[in-house]
Amino acid sequence: MIRYIALSLVFAVASGMLWAADPVEFTSPGFPPSRLDADGRLVEDWGSVKIVVEGEGFQANQGTVRTVRLEETIPAAAWTSEQGPVQVTITAYRAPVFPAGMDILTVRLQETTGQDRRLTVKLEVDPPATIGLSVAHVDKQAILAIPVETQESLVLNDWGYTVDTTAMPGWAKPEGECDPAFANIRAGMGGIPIGYRFRVPPRSQVNVVLGLCESHWDRPEVRPLICLVEGARPMIVDPISRWGRHQPGVLLFASSDTNGDGWITVTIRPVPGAQDRNPILNVIWVFPGDQRPNLNRVIKGELNNQALYYVDVGGTRDQPILASQDLRFPVELSANGAKELTFYVACPGGSVVIPELTAWTTQGLYRAAKEVWESWSQATASQ
Amino acid sequence: MNCVTAFTVEGPSVGQNEFESDVQHFSGGRTMCQQHQCSSCFNRRDCLKMVSLTTMGAGLLASLGEEAPAREGPAATDYVDVQSLRPKPEVRIAASFLELPRPYWLGWPGTTYDLDGHQKEYSALLNASAQRLGIMVEKEAQPLNSDATVDGWIAKLKDQKPDGVLVILQHIHAWNWANRIADETKLPTIIFAPVGTAFTGHLAGPSRKTGVFVISSLDWSAVEAGLRMIRAKRMFEETRVLWIRGNQRNETVVERLGTKVRAIPRDTFNQEFDKQPVTDEVRDLAADLRKHALKIVEPNEEDAINAMRAFVTAKRLLAAENAHALSMDCLGMVGAKLVPTPPCGAWTLLQDAGITAGCEADLFGAMSLMMTSYLLDRPGYMNDPVPETVHNTLIAAHCTSGTRIAGFDQPPAEYILRNHSESALGVAMQVLWPEGQPITLVRFTGPNEMIIDTGKVVGNVQTPPAGGCRTSVEIALDGVEESRDTLGFHQVVTLGNHRRVLEGFCQLYGIKVTHSPRFSTFQYGGQT
Repeated sequence: MIRYIALSLVFAVASGMLWAADPVEFTSPGFPPSRLDADGRLVEDWGSVKIVVEGEGFQANQGTVRTVRLEETIPAAAWTSEQGPVQVTITAYRAPVFPAGMDILTVRLQETTGQDRRLTVKLEVDPPATIGLSVAHVDKQAILAIPVETQESLVLNDWGYTVDTTAMPGWAKPEGECDPAFANIRAGMGGIPIGYRFRVPPRSQVNVVLGLCESHWDRPEVRPLICLVEGARPMIVDPISRWGRHQPGVLLFASSDTNGDGWITVTIRPVPGAQDRNPILNVIWVFPGDQRPNLNRVIKGELNNQALYYVDVGGTRDQPILASQDLRFPVELSANGAKELTFYVACPGGSVVIPELTAWTTQGLYRAAKEVWESWSQATASQ
Repeated sequence: MNCVTAFTVEGPSVGQNEFESDVQHFSGGRTMCQQHQCSSCFNRRDCLKMVSLTTMGAGLLASLGEEAPAREGPAATDYVDVQSLRPKPEVRIAASFLELPRPYWLGWPGTTYDLDGHQKEYSALLNASAQRLGIMVEKEAQPLNSDATVDGWIAKLKDQKPDGVLVILQHIHAWNWANRIADETKLPTIIFAPVGTAFTGHLAGPSRKTGVFVISSLDWSAVEAGLRMIRAKRMFEETRVLWIRGNQRNETVVERLGTKVRAIPRDTFNQEFDKQPVTDEVRDLAADLRKHALKIVEPNEEDAINAMRAFVTAKRLLAAENAHALSMDCLGMVGAKLVPTPPCGAWTLLQDAGITAGCEADLFGAMSLMMTSYLLDRPGYMNDPVPETVHNTLIAAHCTSGTRIAGFDQPPAEYILRNHSESALGVAMQVLWPEGQPITLVRFTGPNEMIIDTGKVVGNVQTPPAGGCRTSVEIALDGVEESRDTLGFHQVVTLGNHRRVLEGFCQLYGIKVTHSPRFSTFQYGGQT
């Protein structure tokens, strides 16, 4: 796709045909437009996103925004600026995601002076957003998503939640002797899965213990949960059936970093068709792979100091996986090299997909836009 | 004068056009815009658009996604072959046998296993399936039998990106290669392990992996079902569904399935219907509809004519929009009395021809109809589910069942010609479903989740004494303790038990499957 965008831009500049006055609007067939301003800011109905590039020798120069057609088919807006040693090109087009579309914002960085460079791409979101690993929200609207390939550029903590679900301290009323963390939860309101990540040596094995305590429902089968721990057999648990109301319980998972990315992922999902699809989670312990923990002692909190990670989910020391609540992406550019980062942005009347849950890929979105515009143009031409 | 082309409409019950006083009547074809003397203008709106385009520059209309111009009416001889509307995508499958270096000694399938004989047999079956399904299969000339040959094939698959991969195991120790092919290509992969090439342990991982469909069996029909799954996915991708509702015109794409959704204003249909003359095709179809009915209760000849005008209108609209399926706000249209007939009868004919025609603009109801049409080659009908609490059954009722419920190439079920029960208008078929036969309920709740349940036809419910819709089938559900707990609305009812094939499709393409609960969560006497 980089090639297509670059070729389109070269064509546009060379032809001199597609220059337009600021700002530049773009859309998908039949939908209200978004616009890219003269300063490279993408303006939507909920607010705006601006990409800022920082680094040694950088100058925040004026840029030029213009209309382009990607592969001579997809209407898009492109903003270009020479910022010292790097040419920055921001491209935005609308992907025709059912039902209302989604804007695709891409920043391309081209080193032009023949030296290796380190720089930072920063996203300024206005109004300020709540940021998770992959999705940022303004109020309750998901307005920006970071595709999996772009997430690799983020600075991350060693552990933390990947989706900003609702922290509810003191929600549970655990009975009996147990770790105090059982009182706190995160809840995936609206069926959003609860996700955590833990940094481990690639391909290593660990024992993950999940702590649960259901204090809202008193009937079984109302809120069963699907527990997915990387490398371990998935487990469906109904806390009421298994332990009862207000009763703390734990589940042990023999986990391993099966994909070798140096992270263990933990996900709690709702069971499709369940009466209550808001998943909950109280505590996570991660123990070394060669240490099979005594679960009675785990419940009581007696092995917390032996755990590689101990998470009071929804408690005061819980943390996001992102090291910074700024959306900052360190980038290393080789001499005369280029890199591209892509973001999904909510367009007027729309929302963004959650990268971990969606089947959409950046390539698939581009292909969809191309196919729709091709057929739409044909339909219009034939009529 | 506006530059409008219209047609003299034969037959009854054609509504008065509000522009009729401004209309010049022609026998067919286009007329010239009298204001601008341009032969490509059709009506006043088109004329204005043409002036705008001339002024503002060509291409602007497309880039802004303007409403498409209205189409002129058809000539009496215009004909759209309904079969031409069914998507016919190119489907490319790459296939290979996986065997260990010969000769075999110990280890399953065993020294006595006739490798050449079985490979010849499976190759012939594969060719026959490909021909039957209209797909292209590129089979490796020689079986893969080493890391090097497997590496080479993986590289080739990554480069050529076929729509799906079929591997046929010929040794129990070839599983590692099969898994690598699925994992490294990330292409939808069918693994056929003829009995003698797998234990439970081999299936534990891959048979539950997204993107993989494992068959441990001697039953080749399951392999053909796997090939159907890949073809069905390509048909979803190739499909453009007309979403006829509201007043917007736009186009989007459905996640995962890749289906294009073209929204067009609801009025488009009734305006096109008004232009549809009573042609020979309409008359013939209407006569057939009446002739083949087991019984005709309410509809008269005029109703049948109008139903078939709706059918021909739908075909024309689909062809004009380069679309393959539709879902319409039919109830809104009938409620506003914009058409003399609900489209039910027309929708039955479309469904029988493999063209999805959904009710009430329920988009994922239409996607569910596509599922049975594309994967199972048979129509179904989306239903309003009624729990029958005395017999603990489910009554699935609607007015648009297809008749070729055993398959597009099978004889149709019997039907009684009725009207649309809610409005007492037009034509709807009461299709009589065969008692005692298994059925499957299918429903996409969205692109990422499907409800699948099965059951058995207990009987056909008559209206009257019942109210509701004309095709009304009573179903005893399998493994559902309480019919009140049945999940979904507008689930598609289709003949036969297709649970495992549908689950296979879902696994191949990452769609979550859910079933109605086996045990009721209702606590008797425990509620307030």
